[in-house]
Amino acid sequence: MSDKKEPRIGVYVCHCGGNISGAVQCELVAKALKGLPNVTVTRTDESMCSDAGQSLIEQDIKELGIDRVVIGACAPMLHEQTFRGAVTRAGLNPFLYHHVGLREQDSWVHEHNKDAATEKALRLMSAGIAKARLLEPLDPIRLGAEKHALVIGGGVAGLRAALDIARQGLRVTLLEKSPFLGGRMAQLESVFPTEEDARKLLQDLIQKVVAHPNVTIFTQAEVTGVSGYVGNFEIQVQQHSRGVSDDNADTLMSACRQEVPNPFNYGLTKRKVIYRPYEGCYPSTPAVDWESYNGEPISFDGKQIILKDEPKSFGLNVGAVVVATGFDPYTPSQGEYGFGELPQVVTLPQLIRHLALSKDGKSLQWNGRAVRDVALIHCVGSRQVDGVHQPQEDGQVNNYCSRVCCTASLHATLELHKRYPQLNIYDLHQDIRTYGHGHEEYYRHALESGVRFVRYNGEEVPEVSAAPQGDSHPVLLKVKDMLTYGEELEIPVDLVVLAVGFMPRDLHGLDKMLKISRGNDRFLLEVHPKLRPVETAVNGVILAGTAQGPMNIQESLSAASAAAAKVASLLGRGKVELPPFVAAVDEEKCDGTGACVEACQYEDAIALQEFEENGRKVRRAVITPANCSGCGACVAVCPNNAINVQGWTLEQYEAMVDAIGMDMHELEVAA
Amino acid sequence: MTQSQQPKILILGTLSGGYAGADSTGQSHLEYPPNTYILPVMSPVMFPPEFYIRSFERGIDGIIVMYSGTDSPYKVEAEGTAKLINSAYALMKERGIDIRRLRLAAICTVCVKPFLKEVNQMNDLLKGIGFVKDELIARASAMEAAHG
Amino acid sequence: MDNLHMDALVVGGGIAGMQSALDLADQGFQVALVEREASIGGRMITLSKVFPTLDCCSCITTPKMSAVTHHPNIHLFTYCEVQSVQEHGAGFDISILQKPRYVDVSKCTGCRDCEYECPITVPNPFDRNLGAYRAIRVPFSTAVPQKAVLDPEYCLWCGKCEQRCPVDAIDFSQQPETFNIEANSIIMATGFDLTPIETKKEYGGGKLHNVIDPLMMERFLAPTGPYGRVLRPGDGKEPGSIAYVQCAGSRDDTLGITYCSRVCCMYAIKQAMLLNGALPLADITIYYMDIRTFGKGYEQFYQNAKAMGVEFVRGKVANINEDADHNPIVKVEMTDTGEIVERTHDLVVLSQGIVPASRPTVSLPLGSDGFISVPSPDSAPCVTKRPGIFVTGTAASPMDIVDSIVSASAAAAEASAYIRENNGRLEVQKEALYV
Repeated sequence: MSDKKEPRIGVYVCHCGGNISGAVQCELVAKALKGLPNVTVTRTDESMCSDAGQSLIEQDIKELGIDRVVIGACAPMLHEQTFRGAVTRAGLNPFLYHHVGLREQDSWVHEHNKDAATEKALRLMSAGIAKARLLEPLDPIRLGAEKHALVIGGGVAGLRAALDIARQGLRVTLLEKSPFLGGRMAQLESVFPTEEDARKLLQDLIQKVVAHPNVTIFTQAEVTGVSGYVGNFEIQVQQHSRGVSDDNADTLMSACRQEVPNPFNYGLTKRKVIYRPYEGCYPSTPAVDWESYNGEPISFDGKQIILKDEPKSFGLNVGAVVVATGFDPYTPSQGEYGFGELPQVVTLPQLIRHLALSKDGKSLQWNGRAVRDVALIHCVGSRQVDGVHQPQEDGQVNNYCSRVCCTASLHATLELHKRYPQLNIYDLHQDIRTYGHGHEEYYRHALESGVRFVRYNGEEVPEVSAAPQGDSHPVLLKVKDMLTYGEELEIPVDLVVLAVGFMPRDLHGLDKMLKISRGNDRFLLEVHPKLRPVETAVNGVILAGTAQGPMNIQESLSAASAAAAKVASLLGRGKVELPPFVAAVDEEKCDGTGACVEACQYEDAIALQEFEENGRKVRRAVITPANCSGCGACVAVCPNNAINVQGWTLEQYEAMVDAIGMDMHELEVAA
Repeated sequence: MTQSQQPKILILGTLSGGYAGADSTGQSHLEYPPNTYILPVMSPVMFPPEFYIRSFERGIDGIIVMYSGTDSPYKVEAEGTAKLINSAYALMKERGIDIRRLRLAAICTVCVKPFLKEVNQMNDLLKGIGFVKDELIARASAMEAAHG
Repeated sequence: MDNLHMDALVVGGGIAGMQSALDLADQGFQVALVEREASIGGRMITLSKVFPTLDCCSCITTPKMSAVTHHPNIHLFTYCEVQSVQEHGAGFDISILQKPRYVDVSKCTGCRDCEYECPITVPNPFDRNLGAYRAIRVPFSTAVPQKAVLDPEYCLWCGKCEQRCPVDAIDFSQQPETFNIEANSIIMATGFDLTPIETKKEYGGGKLHNVIDPLMMERFLAPTGPYGRVLRPGDGKEPGSIAYVQCAGSRDDTLGITYCSRVCCMYAIKQAMLLNGALPLADITIYYMDIRTFGKGYEQFYQNAKAMGVEFVRGKVANINEDADHNPIVKVEMTDTGEIVERTHDLVVLSQGIVPASRPTVSLPLGSDGFISVPSPDSAPCVTKRPGIFVTGTAASPMDIVDSIVSASAAAAEASAYIRENNGRLEVQKEALYV
């Protein structure tokens, strides 16, 4: 257009410390691009994202009058924000910059074909330049943000996140699916490495959360719907009834006849369907286990009462969501190491509960007899090998390390040894991973205490079977021990403990509602382990604790506090900025066909309005940016291309396609 | 440079799907044919069918639309894109363009294997059926002969 | 200089300190970041690539360095050391020593003319003293700030730099100066040193020609490294066989370091993978006791290295000697077979562990292992015994970069909450408590 000045484009090709320049001949690319129309300057740098690299761009903007910037570097996901910052500092609109991914999508995938990688870089960069010519300055959409965060999950990570967000002066709503706070930590007796009382630590934390004036707690509550965006999420919540009240709870509990396996003790004991999981739980009011309750009447005050769940639904407006939904211990498959078939095979969490329940006695009792020999098997459900282990539902094996089980096993081992010094303990492992601060001590103590360590090979797992009739012990373990140079050992034992790993949880659609994704290990996925380790790809949705992967309590606490820091940065000012990538109407081209309004699936995002213009009435589409998702469904159906997603226009795509389709000699001539 | 003699594959990859999947593939350092050019898109539901025809006319030999399917953050992406691609197929048939040159595939952020499969399949296909310009020329001469 | 009033002071400008400072500053707090070296970046900026993503290290570090220096709420003090910390009102009074750079930072443009002019070559600590730089120089290519610093230990005071400097920034008259900062809270992010190997006589005590530490290997592998390739420091030859000795200085009673240093397994595997790319023909062996690849994506990383052909040998290395050609000979007790074998390699990397770095004199109780004591790690992993002082990263215990970054954000959350709670700045937004 004649009234616009010709763009002056600065083009920068990053070596990425050898990551890109190892395959792409960056200097050649820069030289070739120099000849393209509107390209004022091209440069290469060892690391464009460094301060020096960013300064280059800033300098060019100020000194050479560069008004469009194209950078070829790593994936835009990683450093687009960094460069927008640099461009802004130099006084240029941050959206007059385009990022081309030359690392993940070029140099790293064509490492052995340098010429092809170079040519590809050239085409991708010239496409970027073609787009840059058509870039327009844009302003982010600025909206008020709720100074209120939602924390989903009332385990140790969720509690800590809620407390730390509240301590930053923000309002917090904490949702817990079960009737009681505390999560998995409540099932532990003591914590490593300090041997502090787990219940006491947890109760202190719960006390602080409950007492904090900024925190609101809902138990038995689940998210049923999510809409909106960072700063303004609308969350639908459903909360089940408690079923009993402080006035009638104890009477009803004693009158209640129905018993079910107690999940708090991993089925080792039974409990009533009106229950408290443990003494000192919070809230102290018992609750009805609605999933198990068979609807039978319970006598109370001479009457027969049928308990009813009357769920209520309500909405919350929050600026950010912290996902602290935790993990499940791995449940071995039927027959895996004899689990589910031999009564003498239990999981480590079961053993921990068993020890908590049986504090008296001189010997460890199991299944009605004294245990003389016990074996722990590490890596059950972790470090699984394709072809050796049975795959999970998605066809993959759990090939990750669960991080916590080694120290947790030795922690339990030492507890066993302390209580029952006569017990023979065998520890069957692949590697002992007592990596944490103070964890190695457990390994040393176990060695000193006479625990017998046996090392098995990941491909040749131990075999657990019922001992032949008449044997001294009920279970026979067979294992090839690498510590004794591959000796085939047969160990008769009374009890086998499986150190089960962490399983990612089924979130019943919560992940889909929040639009967050899972990694290859099926745990929730962060943006980048170092750049944004607790944030998800959805702005305003943040992870805390073991929903993200195996962690111990200390690590969960750190992750939760880190999540709180991110929430505080995001919402502290009470406003957020959203990217300007929403639909915009070209008034000159729009003649009010209404096709866009029909195509749009979002409420109040687009509407036809009548305007008076030069004395006649015209109809045109009008966008409400805060409600527009930027999907572009309107773009495809507009007969006049009068509507486009800002920053991603059809014209820009056409220009990029032309650059990619261009004959190479056009570029080579330019070079 | 040899790539110019290769058919070109354009990939339209969604930021929450195919483009991120391509990044994951890169992080795993897995190689695939280099005649592939990935453009990031918010959602392919923005492209009218004519866009694909225009791309073929401008020297693109194969297009894979790597969208997020039913996992898309956008309500209309799954259904809407499929409809638009079907319309594009109709236009391609009219113009004598092999419809296998345009593919719609759901690719997630960590879909490394499916990503590679799609790219390799398209590459193999194009090795067999060649450049789109030959199809366009053949069609033009056929039309000329018919009218001529 | 008048006292500066800050909400928080962060001691240490490595990855943990930078992250803590950024998280506090992003919340609107005024933060002073004090770094004892002439540039921020810490240990991380000297690394090659980082596990498990194999991102180039500067791609992660330099943008954070840049963000620190451009943040309006962060006040950066490099080449400074904390001298004392006193409780003062609701916070602390901190005395800080500014060491002389002999360069006026307000004038220096980082053009490096002084460096090109300087006649004195000095071993470069950034490259583990492998390469050389000048007595006056910008510390390294991505240093922040990009300002020269003069090393008085080596300088001849010849004045050539002064004559050459186009902006008259050289100032030989600079003296150490002390200034004070008042801050409501402090985060200690003072980092780590490698376990000293001089005392480990069985492994040559640092005297063997071709036995190196892992940070030196990082510099060999870094694109900005001193030679741009991997070689034997003893004779410059390309090594055909490289061995890693794990737990060199960790889990070792003889050195009094009984803990696991947590990072060595992963960095050894990472270096082995990078060596596989840099020297495709080289044989790489890792001698280990337990492989501890516990983090997210780490086990798969280990399995990939095995599949690549890296040899993992379970065995305790008893000692290392060298032959007449200075080839290191590793004597190892093979746990899987019981044999004691001697194997000659071209280059040996000692997978040294982490000990706390020397710290400024901030009176803080330490644990028996020398790390800053955290009394209740399972309820408050960043809280020290001195109220208002928090600890993060490897100052608290060995940890890798991912864990340090998360820990840094956690320390920022603790510090910001402390600042609000102790200064009547907590906003209360209560409505009602439901259960």
